[in-house]
Amino acid sequence: MTDQCAVTFVAEVEPERLAALRTVLATMAEDPAGNAVVPFGRLDGVHFGRLLVLEATPDLTGKGIPALLVMMDDVDGSADRHVRQLAEVEGLDQVLSACRGYPRAPNTAARLAFLQAGLQPSAATYINTVGRSLDQVRAEIGLRHALETMLDEHRAEWAALPARRIRELVRDRVGADPALAWALHPMPAQPLGWRARRLADLVAVPAAGVVLSPVIALGAPVYAALLRWHERTDKAPLLRPDHAHVAELAATEDRFAHNQFSAIGLLKAGRFRRWTTMGALFVLDWAMRHFFARGSLAKVDTIHFARWTFFDDKRRVLFASNYDGSLESYMDDFIDKVAWGLNLVFSNGQGYPETAWLLCRGAKDERAFKGYLRTRQVPTQVWYSAYPELTAVNIANNAAIRAGLSGHLDEAGATAWLARL
Amino acid sequence: MTPAASPGRAAAGTGSGSELERADIQGLLAAGYGHLPRARYVLLGITAADRARRWLGTTAEVLTTAASGRSTWAANLALTASGLARLGLSDAALGQFPDELITGMTTPHRSRILGDVDDAAPGHWRWGGPATAAVDAIVLLYGEDDDALDEVGRRVLGDVEASGLDVVHTLETAELSDREHFGFRDGISQPVVDGLRRASAGPVADDGSPTVAAGEFVLGYRNGYGRLTGRPLVAAADDAASLLPADVEGSGGHDLGRNGSYLVFRQLHQDVAAFRAYVAAASAAPDGRPDPGAARLLAARMVGRWPSGAPLVQTPDADDPRLGDVNDFAYHDDDEAGLRCPLGAHVRRANPRDMLGPDAGSATAVELADRHRLLRRGRGYGPPLPDDDAAEEPGVERGLHFICCNANIARQFEFVSHTWLGNPRFAGLYDDRDPLVGVSTAEGTTTFTEQARPLRRRHVDVPRFVTVRGGAYTFLPGIRALRYLASLGPEEAQP
Repeated sequence: MTDQCAVTFVAEVEPERLAALRTVLATMAEDPAGNAVVPFGRLDGVHFGRLLVLEATPDLTGKGIPALLVMMDDVDGSADRHVRQLAEVEGLDQVLSACRGYPRAPNTAARLAFLQAGLQPSAATYINTVGRSLDQVRAEIGLRHALETMLDEHRAEWAALPARRIRELVRDRVGADPALAWALHPMPAQPLGWRARRLADLVAVPAAGVVLSPVIALGAPVYAALLRWHERTDKAPLLRPDHAHVAELAATEDRFAHNQFSAIGLLKAGRFRRWTTMGALFVLDWAMRHFFARGSLAKVDTIHFARWTFFDDKRRVLFASNYDGSLESYMDDFIDKVAWGLNLVFSNGQGYPETAWLLCRGAKDERAFKGYLRTRQVPTQVWYSAYPELTAVNIANNAAIRAGLSGHLDEAGATAWLARL
Repeated sequence: MTPAASPGRAAAGTGSGSELERADIQGLLAAGYGHLPRARYVLLGITAADRARRWLGTTAEVLTTAASGRSTWAANLALTASGLARLGLSDAALGQFPDELITGMTTPHRSRILGDVDDAAPGHWRWGGPATAAVDAIVLLYGEDDDALDEVGRRVLGDVEASGLDVVHTLETAELSDREHFGFRDGISQPVVDGLRRASAGPVADDGSPTVAAGEFVLGYRNGYGRLTGRPLVAAADDAASLLPADVEGSGGHDLGRNGSYLVFRQLHQDVAAFRAYVAAASAAPDGRPDPGAARLLAARMVGRWPSGAPLVQTPDADDPRLGDVNDFAYHDDDEAGLRCPLGAHVRRANPRDMLGPDAGSATAVELADRHRLLRRGRGYGPPLPDDDAAEEPGVERGLHFICCNANIARQFEFVSHTWLGNPRFAGLYDDRDPLVGVSTAEGTTTFTEQARPLRRRHVDVPRFVTVRGGAYTFLPGIRALRYLASLGPEEAQP
């Protein structure tokens, strides 16, 4: 099985090249999979890819943050593998040449060095199902289509048979078809070494907590008092996005089964909020690796990939996700199902609705929360999805269809398996 | 034909909440006027703002409110964003209305999420689209008979030209019936609005369903989240006469939204002959002979209720008119897999009740679904298509003037249209849109799946039966808000 990783590349844009860069991005957006600049569909193992420009903006002290180019890909394998392949893509020069310090006559080595220098680690990453590669997703899409067609064709003759018998007939046909026979074998389990490393990671955080428990016990009351003081004194204005901003964002939304969301915001001033964000993202990242790696983030089963990344010396945090359905349904899920998780991280950002004890209230204020998200959301100029017609639930169902082709199933099991088709 | 109802008198109180100010709320929010079988919708443009404002001031005192007694007629009035602007509402105040109202129903993004593409694209609309005259106001008229309807029309509209108005389009309705044109009882499931029920309210069903917070439909009251939905406020200085109530949230502004709602209007053409022909062909025996029983079953499965209204989840094999009014049911425990009522059936999509995860079957699931309810107030138009073999006569239009009220168009009407009705991935499906109203693909067909054990049956070629012919997002103001709008002059409109 292949692990997935979130690759984030950031570079400063030369102000005089910004307009030209936007033109290049607009060309890419017409065909994200096959464009001549960065053809995401021809790269290996890219589930999602995006490019966006963050406008120059002042920070809380009035100091300028320059315009930035951001590329964010969710890929199979390591970041290093992906970046090395990107470095081979000559078309990338059309984008990177707008960035400060990019060589005038780049070659693969120069491209690679520039990309590596701009990589930003994610403070927290969410992967809907760890280990499910793009090749697997694509193969199982084809498998499901083949099985649905098979059932349509044979419905009249098979409908009166027991489910187990139908499953046997399906298995016979799959086994006899060289293009499908692979599906009779289940996905191999993760190797022992992988599972051991994962277990060690799972245990490490609580173990560190035990070791540090005296410090935590002493520090907790102080932290709690500071937290409440900040929560009571932080400004929580009711933000309203303007109609033009919403129109620009909506123009690219709701074309596929899923959407992208990119948002960036300044952290509130001071070390307290910065350290709280770092701690929150550390714990969230660990929890997502171990408890939310099999199809849902808490109770939300519509997110494919998400990441939180610090920007500009931890003055800003960027959040990016690929989610099913509309932004309205996504925001409603946030409010109804994981308000605590959003509060934990985003309440450290400027303008977030007032929270209590870091986890409560906050996102529960629908109007303030939706206004905050839309205000912090930024346009994504280029977005690529490798499977635009599928939700995360569809992909999981496809995997279950394939899994149900192997092994023993009794009549009830075979009936449940057929219900997936 | 003297109106029996007294004109709406606005309540003076501006308290925070639970007691609804009925006299300030237009009557359509409280009742569908089931006792008034005739209705007509007049779409107006504003040609002269000063005269239109005078007309509006007079009309505000005639409109039916939630406090009006039962009468032989009723009248209500809604305004579009262009209407509000033409009346002279400042850009600052207009900008506080939600994005849906301001940018309207016809943006490319809205066309995507509402499925208004191909033949249903706004460019083909008969009204409300980019190629037709702007609709600034919609007057909704009701009468106990044609005379009463004409009388209330004269009373409200009077001399249209002298009032600075222009009739852009008039939409007639069919005699009120509880059957829509495909032959099914409609409008059975309505949210019961907290605080708006009363004995004379008519079609508000008394079936014991839990009530939905008034703020889901009426602005200025607590919504399903226990909070107030966003409302347009005007600066106190722009309402020197204090015609509007103060913002109950204490911003110091005056509340133009209070006691108002957003009224969504969609003219939905129904191709009845195509529906019948499709159902007959798709349910025919293997040798091609028609099977009327199978056709009735397939049609009922697409709807989710039988023609009498009886829900399939309670009577999956045959209609049972005794269950025609039943609205107190759920899906998860009785039919999680869609074996009685298919997962993609129209009524399951329009109101999934307790069926959606992650807490399907629980009170939480119902509570979450109730954040997306619509108060439906539509009426059919055009003659019924009589027998099963009849073809559509060329030029005869029939369908539904779909009207609904909600406080948050994005979370209610658009969510229901996009996330439930038009979503091919609803409830874990892949390619199935609402089989009655959801088809909007470029291919012009959708898949409809009848779940069954051991094998499901897929219909992969369900064509479009319903086509949008026009539509608008409008604001249904409170009576005080109408008086305020009527008071705007050129001097108030400018800073």
